[in-house]
Amino acid sequence: MPGNTNNKRMFTIWQTAAAVIAGAQVGQTDEPVLEVLHLTKSFGTKTILDDLSFHIESGEIFGLLGPNGAGKTTMIRIILDIIKSDHGSVKMFGKVFDEAFKERIGYLPEERGLYQKITVFECLKYFANLKNVKKPDDRIDFWLEKVDLIDYRKRRVSDLSKGMQQKIQLASAFIHDPDILILDEPFSGLDPVNTKIVKDIMLDLKRDGKTIILSTHQMDQAERMCDRILMINHGEKVLYGTLDQIKAGYRESPVMVVEYEGDLKPIDGVTGIEDYGRYAELDLERGTDPQDVLRNLMESVKLRRFEMKSPSLNEIFIEVANVA
Amino acid sequence: MLRKTLVVAKHEFLATVKTKGFILTLILPLVILLPVMFTSGYVMQIATDSPRNIGFVDETGILQPDGIFTRFEDIGDAENALLNSEIKSFITIPPDYLETGRVVLYSTGGFFSSAPTGLVETFLIDNLLRDSDVDETLVDRIRCPAEVEQITLDENGEVEEKQEVRFLIPYAVAILMMLSIMTTSGYLMQGIVAEKENKTVEILLSSLSPEELLTGKLIGFGSAGLLQICVWICLGILVVSSTSLAAIFQEIQVSLIMILAIPYFILGYLLFAGSMACVAAPASTMKDAQQGAMIFTMLGILPIMLLGVIIAAPDSVIARVLTYIPYTAPATTLMRITLTGIPVYEIAASLLILAISVIVVIRLSARIFRNAILMSGKKIRLRDIPGYLKR
Repeated sequence: MPGNTNNKRMFTIWQTAAAVIAGAQVGQTDEPVLEVLHLTKSFGTKTILDDLSFHIESGEIFGLLGPNGAGKTTMIRIILDIIKSDHGSVKMFGKVFDEAFKERIGYLPEERGLYQKITVFECLKYFANLKNVKKPDDRIDFWLEKVDLIDYRKRRVSDLSKGMQQKIQLASAFIHDPDILILDEPFSGLDPVNTKIVKDIMLDLKRDGKTIILSTHQMDQAERMCDRILMINHGEKVLYGTLDQIKAGYRESPVMVVEYEGDLKPIDGVTGIEDYGRYAELDLERGTDPQDVLRNLMESVKLRRFEMKSPSLNEIFIEVANVA
Repeated sequence: MLRKTLVVAKHEFLATVKTKGFILTLILPLVILLPVMFTSGYVMQIATDSPRNIGFVDETGILQPDGIFTRFEDIGDAENALLNSEIKSFITIPPDYLETGRVVLYSTGGFFSSAPTGLVETFLIDNLLRDSDVDETLVDRIRCPAEVEQITLDENGEVEEKQEVRFLIPYAVAILMMLSIMTTSGYLMQGIVAEKENKTVEILLSSLSPEELLTGKLIGFGSAGLLQICVWICLGILVVSSTSLAAIFQEIQVSLIMILAIPYFILGYLLFAGSMACVAAPASTMKDAQQGAMIFTMLGILPIMLLGVIIAAPDSVIARVLTYIPYTAPATTLMRITLTGIPVYEIAASLLILAISVIVVIRLSARIFRNAILMSGKKIRLRDIPGYLKR
């Protein structure tokens, strides 16, 4: 389909240009794309968000994590100005959020929904018109190709499977080429093939300079994709930073895992050894350089494998949620 | 951000006018009225023709046949004639007729057939008085004792005519006005609840404010309602101008009704639609919303329920109070205009109160809409409403 190829090429050029412009608008000022300051929200006597502050930098995938009822959706709705906060403010590109910023945000809510009685094209066109997309037909075709549903353009939404509808909804979030994407559980309900399609789209968008806020319970995806993470529980910030920072701050003493041949002897800077004969976990004293430990180990045993063990995000999530 | 409001309005308008229900409300009057218009002459002819041949089986021996009534010797012969369509119906007069007055009418039925009881009565009276000395004029009076002519006097003692038509007009105006307002407001309520149920509302609110969304819906559904009422008015004009009703309508303030129908429709629609948005926004299901909207529906049809009072005394205290109550004003005022000359100040005050109420209700509904539209799984409770207003 030469027409579609041309569309795709033109759109890629357009996207690249838009990314440069977005970079010029956001990146050069070094200002956070989004800044949440002292956000507080209560429903009745229940405090949902308690003095929450954080910022999101340009071009990053920012993980928003927390157990059910932690306040993630409320926070997203406040960021989007769908509901009002009791206290605090949201700044976008250095300015206090107003309605005009909505055209620069793409949103995939956790509760999926589309108009069932109209065609896929009509549905996407309505959303595109609301976002003030200049040439909606081209953009609709581009995104339908991208999510592999171009053949369903004129089909009624109700004729599509749940997974297909989810991809249509994703397309509706991307259709206006937003600077910021807020994706609430984008992988839920998708099979592995479609999960890969969505993941690849997200990484493409990141490469194009888009900022992505990823709210998810799928810790493995968050661990692999997110540059920084905010975990909230009961409306309070419990973890915030890069994955390395979070993992480093989570365990008091780092753990080195080794597979070896020979006799393992006590080593300076190692406070405890869990020895299994050919495999051992060494608790390093805080401040100990792992390189020194390795050098000492190599004097007494033949090393076949070694690595610094860090807790998975899933383990951290469960522990933090349980402690809270 | 008028652009987004208009995008919503266009979407809702097109979505509404394409629905089967809406198309049906436009076509139904055509389907009903046009055949009635074009077949009324035929029906009249059938009605006139049908009693021409009536049979009778007389067991008293006092009846004589005439141009319409044909004698049959027994019921069997009469039945055969009826079944062979030689006669339209027949009566049997039993021997004890003079004591009991009882006769039996047989007919084959049919869509346009009606029992010729008037003709039968006249036939019997003529036969009973045939050999008496009663004066011909008196016979006529016995046949038809009263030709009742109803005359109504207005407040100046002047004679008002065509009262029977005037009785129908306010009823039709009120019904049509409220039908259109309620239907259109109902579409809005359905639209809001449907977007809550299919979870699209959150996507919409990430693109525009709740106020823009609500305004767009009000305009979109209101335009569909306005289209509906305009089509009905055009149809009404077509029917009236093609029938003998035209002369009668000229006597009534039709032009004033037409002029006032539009602002009363628009303000009435905004009031009811805004009120229904208040109950639709917190509702989780259509059933919940309909229960909540019941109070507004009842208020809306109150003037129709009190039609008798308003027709009997269009300038009474009740009628005037209903003119000033926003929810009853549209129907009441238009009904009163057809019945009496309402002072201009009353119409102006009614419109002013209605307009102020619309502003208040729309503001309240926008606030409730913003605070309650994303709520789900809760029943609507009146005591929760102040909470929705505060947030």
